[in-house]
Amino acid sequence: MQLDSSTQSSSIRQKLSRTALALALLEVPATAHADSGPTTQFDITTLFYGEQSRTDIFEPMVRVSRLFPDGQSLYAQFGLDVVTGASPSGALPSGEIQTTTGSSGRILTIPAGAIPMMNFQDQRFGFDGDWHKSLSRFFTSDIGGHFSRERDYQSLGINGKMSVDLFRRLTTLTFGGGYNHDSVFPTGGTPAGLSDGTIISNQGNPKQVKNFMIGISQVLSRKWLFGFDFSRTFENGYLTEPYKVISIVDPVTGIPVSQLTDKRPDARDRTSLLFSSAYHLSRDVVYLYYRHYWDTWKLQSDTFDFKYRHELGSENGTYLEPHIRYYHQTPAEFFTVGLVEGDPLPEFATADTRLGLLKTMTLGTTLGFHIFDNPSLWTIRAEYIRQIGDSYPVNAVGIQQTFDLSPPLNTFAVVVGYSFNF
Amino acid sequence: MKTIIRWKLRLLLIFLSFTAFGCATIHPWDRDLLAEKKMSLNPSPMVRAVDNHIYFSKEGSTGGDDIGGGGCGCN
Repeated sequence: MQLDSSTQSSSIRQKLSRTALALALLEVPATAHADSGPTTQFDITTLFYGEQSRTDIFEPMVRVSRLFPDGQSLYAQFGLDVVTGASPSGALPSGEIQTTTGSSGRILTIPAGAIPMMNFQDQRFGFDGDWHKSLSRFFTSDIGGHFSRERDYQSLGINGKMSVDLFRRLTTLTFGGGYNHDSVFPTGGTPAGLSDGTIISNQGNPKQVKNFMIGISQVLSRKWLFGFDFSRTFENGYLTEPYKVISIVDPVTGIPVSQLTDKRPDARDRTSLLFSSAYHLSRDVVYLYYRHYWDTWKLQSDTFDFKYRHELGSENGTYLEPHIRYYHQTPAEFFTVGLVEGDPLPEFATADTRLGLLKTMTLGTTLGFHIFDNPSLWTIRAEYIRQIGDSYPVNAVGIQQTFDLSPPLNTFAVVVGYSFNF
Repeated sequence: MKTIIRWKLRLLLIFLSFTAFGCATIHPWDRDLLAEKKMSLNPSPMVRAVDNHIYFSKEGSTGGDDIGGGGCGCN
C-alpha cells in the first residue's frame, strides 16, 4: 500500500513538531537557560487550617530551588507552624456538667457528654535541603537533610535516593533510604507509662526512624504514567504521646474514677504499598492514588485519592483541580476507649482516637492561574475534611454507652501558593 | 516467614508486569504529553508536603510516597 505523499509529509511534520516540543519540555531548565546560567525558583505556600472548636494552624513555607544548566539542582525549604487550640485528652466524659475558665477569662460550660479537651499552643520551624544530580545519562541521585524544632520535639535527618532509567527511558527504578534521629522532651517532664502521672523523668527521650523505599514508574502509553512504591519504616524509641491519658471507669456505672497516662510499644515497623497513576486526556489530567498500609501495632489503612486537573480557557495555564480523598483505618491492637476499674492493666494502652477506628473524607479543589501575562503561578486550594471515629464503641461501659465518644470532626483548610522565577 | 515469601513473590510479580510493559514502543515524538510538567506522579511537591503534614497529625498511618522529611511531635 502506498501513502499519499502529502499525508506522509504531514505525518512527518507532526512527528517532528511533537519531537521538538517533547525535547524542549524535557530539557527545561537545562537547555532553556544554558546561555543565561543558573536560575532560581521560589515557591511560597501558606496553609490556614481550622478544626471546628479545636485546633488552628498557620503554616507558611518557602522553597527556593537553584536550577543549574547541567541538570543539577539545589533545594532549600523553610517552614513555620503556629498551632493553637485544643485536642482530646483521651479521657472519657464525666457525665456531669463542668465549668471552666477560658484563656480570655470567660466562663465556659462543658456539657455532660462532652469529650474532655486539653489546650495547647506550639510553634515549630523546619528546614529541608536537597541536592539533585545526574550521575550519568541514566542515573540520577538525590541527597537531602532535615532539621526541625518545636517546644518539646526535635528532629534531625538525612536521606538519599538513586534513580535509574531503563528500557529506552520507559521505566525508572528508584531506591532510597533515610535516617532520622528525633528527641522528645515533654513540657513538665516525661510521665511513666500507665501511671497516674506523678512519676516523672526529666531525661530526654530519643527516637530513631529508619526508612527504605523502592519504586518503579512506568510509561504505559503516550498518555499514561504509572507508579508503584514499596516502603518500610522502622521506628524505635519513645513512641508514646506524653500528654494523652486513659480513663478508668467504674465497672457498673461507667463514671470515670481516675486516669492513667498513655503507653505505647517502643518499636513500630510500618509497611506501605502505593500505586499512582497520571493519565493525560489531551488537555486535562487524571491522577489516581491508592495506598495500602499496615504496621506492627496491627493498624491497617487504605487511602484512595483522586484529582482531576481541568484546563480552563486557552493555553494560559489556568486550571481547576477537584480533589476527593477517602481514608479508612482499623484500630491499633492496644487502642481502648477506657479501662475498667479492677481489671488487670494491659502492657500497653492508648485512648488516642488517631489510633482508633477512623475514616477521613476530603473534598476540595485547587484553582491555578496567572495574573495577566505574568508567568508566575498562583494557586488557591480549599478543602473540607471530615473525620469520623467510632462514636458508640461496643465495649463502652455504663453511661459511656449514651455518649458520642468520637464526634465527627470538621476541618477547613486553605492553601495559597505562589511560584515565580528569579 | 511464609508471609514474607508471599510478599516477595507479589513484588516480583508486580516488577515483572512493569518490565513487560517496558517492551512497548513509545517514540521520542510520542513523548510530548509525557514531558509536560503536570504529567508527573507528584506534580506539586509542596502541596504534597502540606497534605502529608496534615494527615500525619490526624491519622494513624503515614508515608509510602517518598523518603525523608521531618519528624514532628504532632503524632
